[in-house]
Amino acid sequence: MRLPVASSAEVKAYAKRLVLRHPGALARTVALHGLAAACGLVTPWLLGRLVEDPHRRIDLIAAGIALFVLLQAVLTRQAFASSARFGERVLADLREEFVSRTLRLPLATVERAGTGDLLSRTTRDVDTLTRSVRYAMPQVLIALIIGALTLGAVALTSPLLLLPSLLVVPMLVFSTRWYLSRARDVYLGENAAWAEIADGLTETVSGARTVTALGREHDRRAYADRQIADSYRMERRSLRLRTLWYPTLELGYVLPVAFTLLFGGWLYLEGHVSLAQVTAATLYVQQLAHPLEMLLVELDELQLGGASLARLLGVADLVEDRENGDVPNGVELSAQDVRYAYGTRDVLHGVSLDLKPGERLAVVGPSGAGKSTLGRLLAGIDAPRTGSVTLDSVPLAQLPLEELRHRIALVTQEHHVFRGTLRENLTLVRPASDDELRNALDAVGWSGPGLDAVVGSGGAVLSPAQAQQIALARLVLADPHTLVLDEATSLLNPRAARELERSLGAVLEGRTVVAIAHRLHTAHDADRVAVVEDGRIIELGTHDELLALSGSYAALWRAWNGT
Amino acid sequence: MRSLPVSDPGTPDHRGPWRFLAWLARVQARDLVPAIGLSVALMVAQAMLPALIGRAIDAGLLARDGSALLRWSLLVLLLGLFQAFAGPMRHRLSVFIWLDAAYRTLQLVTRQATRLGATLSKRLTTGEVVAVGLADVSRFGNAMEILVRAGGSVAAIAAVTVVLLSSTPRLGLVVLVGVPLILLAGAPLMRPLHRRQTVQRELSGELTTRAADLVAGLRVLRGLGGEEPFERRFRAESQEVRRAGERVGEADAMLQGAAVLLPGLLVVAVTWLGARYTADGVITAGQLVACYGYTAFLVNPLWTLADTAETYAKAHVAAGRLVRILDLEPEHPGDGTREPHGRELLDGDSGLRIVPGLLTAVVAGEAAPALADRLGGYADGDARYGGVPLDELAGLRRRILVARNEDRLFTGVLATEVAPAGTEAEVREAIRDACAEDVVEAVGLEGFVAEGGREFSGGQQQRLKLARALAADPEVLVLVEPTSAVDAHTEARIAGRLGEHRTGRTTVVFTASPLLLDRADRVVWISGGRVAAEGEHRDLLARVPGYRAAVTREPEHAAPRPDRPTSRE
Repeated sequence: MRLPVASSAEVKAYAKRLVLRHPGALARTVALHGLAAACGLVTPWLLGRLVEDPHRRIDLIAAGIALFVLLQAVLTRQAFASSARFGERVLADLREEFVSRTLRLPLATVERAGTGDLLSRTTRDVDTLTRSVRYAMPQVLIALIIGALTLGAVALTSPLLLLPSLLVVPMLVFSTRWYLSRARDVYLGENAAWAEIADGLTETVSGARTVTALGREHDRRAYADRQIADSYRMERRSLRLRTLWYPTLELGYVLPVAFTLLFGGWLYLEGHVSLAQVTAATLYVQQLAHPLEMLLVELDELQLGGASLARLLGVADLVEDRENGDVPNGVELSAQDVRYAYGTRDVLHGVSLDLKPGERLAVVGPSGAGKSTLGRLLAGIDAPRTGSVTLDSVPLAQLPLEELRHRIALVTQEHHVFRGTLRENLTLVRPASDDELRNALDAVGWSGPGLDAVVGSGGAVLSPAQAQQIALARLVLADPHTLVLDEATSLLNPRAARELERSLGAVLEGRTVVAIAHRLHTAHDADRVAVVEDGRIIELGTHDELLALSGSYAALWRAWNGT
Repeated sequence: MRSLPVSDPGTPDHRGPWRFLAWLARVQARDLVPAIGLSVALMVAQAMLPALIGRAIDAGLLARDGSALLRWSLLVLLLGLFQAFAGPMRHRLSVFIWLDAAYRTLQLVTRQATRLGATLSKRLTTGEVVAVGLADVSRFGNAMEILVRAGGSVAAIAAVTVVLLSSTPRLGLVVLVGVPLILLAGAPLMRPLHRRQTVQRELSGELTTRAADLVAGLRVLRGLGGEEPFERRFRAESQEVRRAGERVGEADAMLQGAAVLLPGLLVVAVTWLGARYTADGVITAGQLVACYGYTAFLVNPLWTLADTAETYAKAHVAAGRLVRILDLEPEHPGDGTREPHGRELLDGDSGLRIVPGLLTAVVAGEAAPALADRLGGYADGDARYGGVPLDELAGLRRRILVARNEDRLFTGVLATEVAPAGTEAEVREAIRDACAEDVVEAVGLEGFVAEGGREFSGGQQQRLKLARALAADPEVLVLVEPTSAVDAHTEARIAGRLGEHRTGRTTVVFTASPLLLDRADRVVWISGGRVAAEGEHRDLLARVPGYRAAVTREPEHAAPRPDRPTSRE
């Protein structure tokens, strides 16, 4: 499942809100850049005066130029520092809001969508946007200011001399619009192709042993070459666009210079303008090349940033829709005639199940039978399509998350250890004293480092069994009355699974447990066993009852036990 | 433009970083030379623009000569047309050169990875290699591409020098001395900027890792709580990144200010001196304007040269990392030449003897991975196939396949991933016998396995890998815990089909699952690194208490709930 992407109207509205959130900083930045650019325009004007009449007060004019250069330098420094402060604020707001939204995603979405798409938004899109805000945004701003002021200076020098520059504007506007309307897709395609190359290389490198074991050396090389060829195709497309666009830019820089020189020269010869005016205007127009280039080149980058922003904002479209209804007092979990569909196909066909408080129920059955789906419904993560899952007659899927957490927990194969101290990894469940934390760790037989040890990526290396123990200690702290275990230990090697047995036993003690089991000994140890096949419970009873039934479970047990 | 990638990236010179970069430039010479030529023409043309404007002012305006004005203005126009043509051309060539360097390096890393196999992960982490293959390739691209601009810049500087010294020697000297001085004066400002950028990069790298950590653990956070403290922490770190960013901004602002001030001062000097010379009649007004133009222009090619030095400093570091990878040699390349006498696989260290043509199950506990590695010739040891030590065996990898859970599924079409050269019938048979039909039902035989199968459950991935191993059809197939993530129902079916599928060929399964052990022709129990017992599963269960303890859970410790009887047999 992919997460949504925001529309371009939403992106624009958000960007506007974000920028206007710091009006003072924005105004200061614009004003400083404007003043700096204005100072830069004095030099050509003074030079024009010198050219016209070399016998003016040369030293005074030179001192004037020096003064304005100094002023421009100081203002430029202030302007850049101010725009960096402004940009960094905007960026911080952006990423903090994104993370805050992510942390409020509906539980069902998190469980189903997986984290791949979200992860690439968190890393790649945030990076792209950072580049855009940090470099493209100020450049575009500066280019616009300088460009406008320079044109203004030409107009001040002589409004007539503005004409040659305006001549190229329609051409530039047309070609740039043509380019930008096509460039976004091509750039996204280019980036996607590079991302594919990255994924392919990661696979080849991390699976290097598999490659040689299976004799796939040639295949992997060919695969990489194909991805490179795809990337090259995208690069060629963008290059073709630029090959058509760039000449208009180059002409846009140089045509105004030639035209201003020619037209201004003619006006001078006809006696309409002075030599100083022609010289200054020509130099101004020549100076236009720089902001123009900056503006046009950075527009690309700004567009990419917009695409990334759309993906980041898309996350906001998902809100938790649990209603704040009744709060259950009892602990009786019950499913009545539950059906659930992925798309249009039902995977559960009317399952009913009443759990006795404190009992241990093992759910067995072949892959794809609907065991995990049943587990998610019983844990209150998803709501059934029809039928009901209730806790003390309160519909589970409507229970607010805060209420649900300390009543029912789903334990899966995933057991993430966060970067941080062991203490932080435990207190995320609830604030607790060190004694409580140590008790929880003791309960799961923890023999790893102490509470202050830094764990997670970059910290102390933990074995898979230890990671699982942390997950179990969290459960001890959360203290839910019901646990749904989905293949909790199945991916570990058998020996680690055995070591964990005791830790798990301590956590399960005194709680209602639904264990979706791969291993038959789990079923053997349970109070009741439910056999799920094709979305139905086909056998339900104690281990001994099911053996007596001589059905599907009995056959499996005999094969397992070698009898 | 030729097409990329090249079919053969060539044999790189990996005796050192500089040698590698030189090799790269050599193989790309046929593109680099014309690109540099074009760049020279382009930059020289740009350098001439101030001269043309100066001439237009002198000959056209001051002399009040309309036709001269027209002539010089047209020349400016012509120059513009040339730039409009040559600029994009150079861009195309540059991009091609950049891509060629980057793609070529990628190919080299890919080829080296597939050559090194298991040795690669032993010596280097995936991250290290991928960083070279991705982040560093752009440095090689930059290193080749900047040669184009650097060539043009050198030529432009030379051209301006000649023109200036021949037309206005005194002003020329000021410009020629002044411009390098600007660079020298600006250089110290780069250092604090780079230092702060490094700090900022590290902090924002950590912040990204933190965010990725939150996302990866989102199930836990949403399932059990803790969003608020983690969010607070992220905000605090984000603010730290903001402050680091502001410090970079301040250093950058200093540089930006200097970039205005230093060339500006030179402009002041040139204008002041030039105006005096003009007043004295030493130079013309047009020449003054030209000098101003040159001063402004020269700053760019000089920055390019400074940039070139920095680009090569980075490329040198990157090349060092690449050379380290290219230098590695596979430890157990499996390229022996001796033919085996017979098909018996023997591990001398443990005394494990694999009877050809049978399905042997090995119960080895924690020793399984190391033993499997020896049987596959991945580790040092005394393993022989048909009497030949594995390092000397001809076609080792083709004959013996060790399939482990750590193996990777690769992204691509499902059928191709299971058996690249197999027929549809073979693929279907392998998938059936690995009980992976549900995967095919979900995505189809021609369906796409995305992200190395990450969208499949652990059990589905495991069965796909099993199907792939079966389809490879080696003389000896060694499977390590092939059903550890599979439910008991499916495991029972796999146990039945595995023996059938491998009829007549040798199969070794490392497992402790009674369902698999029960269907094996022979079971070997390894204890303390040596063969401790051999026989049939039921026979060993009855006769060897240690074996019974290893494969059933009963005698070792009580089941989780001591209040219940542990056995109901």
